[in-house]
Amino acid sequence: MSSIIHTRALTKTFGSNGTAVHALRGIDLSVDKGEFVALVGPSGSGKSTLMAIIGCLDAPTSGTYTLDGHEVQGLSGGELARIRNTKVGFIFQSYNLMPKANILRNVELPMLYAGIGRKERRERAMALLEKVGMPEKANVLPGNLSGGQRQRVAIARALANNPALLLADEPTGALDSQTGAEVLALFQELNAAGNTLVLVTHDPSIAALAQRRVELRDGLIAGAVEGAA
Amino acid sequence: MMGSGAFLLRLESAWMEIRENFGRSSLQTLGIVLGVASVLGGFSITDSFRKRSETLYVKLGGLDKLNVQPNNIGNNGTPTALQNANLGLRHQDMDDGRGLDSAQVEGVSVQRNARARVRSAFTDQERRVQGINGDYLAIEGYDIAQGRGFSQSDIGSAAAVAVLGSEAFQTFFPSGGGLGAIIRVGDVPVTVVGVLSQRVFRFRDTPGMGNMFHRKNRLIAVPSTLVQQRMQGDNYQRVDRLTFRIPKVDTIETFAKSLTSVLKMNHRLQDDFRLDDVAARERKRRDTGDAYDIIFMLSGVLALLGGGIVNVNIQLASLKERVREVGVKMAIGAAGTEIFKEFMTEALLLTALGSIVGLGVGVAFSWFITHYIGVPLGMELGSFLWAFALAIAFGFLFALVPAWKASRLSPMEALRYE
Repeated sequence: MSSIIHTRALTKTFGSNGTAVHALRGIDLSVDKGEFVALVGPSGSGKSTLMAIIGCLDAPTSGTYTLDGHEVQGLSGGELARIRNTKVGFIFQSYNLMPKANILRNVELPMLYAGIGRKERRERAMALLEKVGMPEKANVLPGNLSGGQRQRVAIARALANNPALLLADEPTGALDSQTGAEVLALFQELNAAGNTLVLVTHDPSIAALAQRRVELRDGLIAGAVEGAA
Repeated sequence: MMGSGAFLLRLESAWMEIRENFGRSSLQTLGIVLGVASVLGGFSITDSFRKRSETLYVKLGGLDKLNVQPNNIGNNGTPTALQNANLGLRHQDMDDGRGLDSAQVEGVSVQRNARARVRSAFTDQERRVQGINGDYLAIEGYDIAQGRGFSQSDIGSAAAVAVLGSEAFQTFFPSGGGLGAIIRVGDVPVTVVGVLSQRVFRFRDTPGMGNMFHRKNRLIAVPSTLVQQRMQGDNYQRVDRLTFRIPKVDTIETFAKSLTSVLKMNHRLQDDFRLDDVAARERKRRDTGDAYDIIFMLSGVLALLGGGIVNVNIQLASLKERVREVGVKMAIGAAGTEIFKEFMTEALLLTALGSIVGLGVGVAFSWFITHYIGVPLGMELGSFLWAFALAIAFGFLFALVPAWKASRLSPMEALRYE
């Protein structure tokens, strides 16, 4: 299987010499196509930083990172935006939907940035809403939805441009266990359909659903454990 | 690259953003509204005055005139023999001028003034009497109410006929019925053959504003030849003013040059006459109006500047609330340039809306002012365009800083912003 994520000796340092914080201190990580990986670790372990770099939101201080065959380090802001747009689908703990736009527009937004025409945008957005089980909510504002429904919309938005990688940061952190379980079931469904999934969590029971658990400690990978899923 | 659909969507989200934050948005547009209103208001005051003076010139018989008047020379010393020997402005000058370019000259009016005792059966007054020729009434914008003007034969034969202005007619024939009656002008009994319509023009329609044409209504006109031959015994047919009507205004200048050289020959190379190009004089006056336009524009620009600075502050403050939103947009693939465009679209939409409101306010403002000073409201499309263009330019300029700031946010930091 070809690897979607491939990093070598990735480091990230915040601040300057005297007060420098070494958030990542040499990460070698590979995630293959179709894998479901849980990124775990206590707060301060560097997992948010690693996720930001994997998601091309931030650039590493040193090391190399290849995302779906694209060398990412050294790219300009515009090029990174394009990669985020087409290769990565983000799912956040707090959903981060556009509060003033209806659900359909929220799902269309990444396609708009990708330059996809109006008709195709609409059709794909509707298909995605169907996929996450919310086709009837297209014209509703996010504020009128429950947390679980909002997260489903966020997942539909993340899938908009058929990304190579789905990156979820504590996606069930703001949900009750019932809806959380439903959202996780949706993730498993998506993974079963061939989507590559990296999930950041500190909840061991969620991490247990993944095929592989990558644990970070003090900016280094502590141990990669084969999961039971 | 994104097509026009993206622009429309950007416009739509900009509109939603403005609608959702109506209070803030109105505050932002306040400066634009006032700026546009003051530019437009200022412009329409000068526009209105300009329109009014155009009306005045139409009522005066048009701008297409070149006046020639005698010039008193020798004021600073004794006139030379040559100057003394000169005969002044004469009928001959008129004929030569007309002969110069008969295609261009539509008419020439002659004026020869005299003061005389004027008597009717009812009234006896010392009055100014104007000797005129056949073209005079038309060129000066008089309308005949009753009777007729002067014919070619009246002028040729120095006929003893008179045409009265409305006030003169009222004065000398208070009970009416003066047409065909005899009045004495000096020693000459003349028949009243025509009465002119009353002419009224108030530049500003306010109480206490007099009729600018009052003196014109006092006209007592007889053939110029009558004044010259029977009242003044002037064999040289001297005149006090010649007015050439030249419908092609842009040819007046060249005509004036050739006329000057012809008249100089007639006048033994002495400058005892002067030319007055009415159109050129009016143009010069208009330029003064343009100076006012610049002043009004500057005051509008200052208002826009003040409004713009307030605007930038509000936008920068509101940007803080929107950092997270920008972060999310960047995370799902919006490049900095896209964020920049979104912010600019919003600011420009806001400016355009504010400008439209401002144009409305400006119209109301102009109406109020012109109504107050008693001049009909006359607005020109150009003033609207100027006011709008200025506002858009300032809106664009002042939107740049917040939009640029937003576009430079780091996606990671923007996402974490609380």
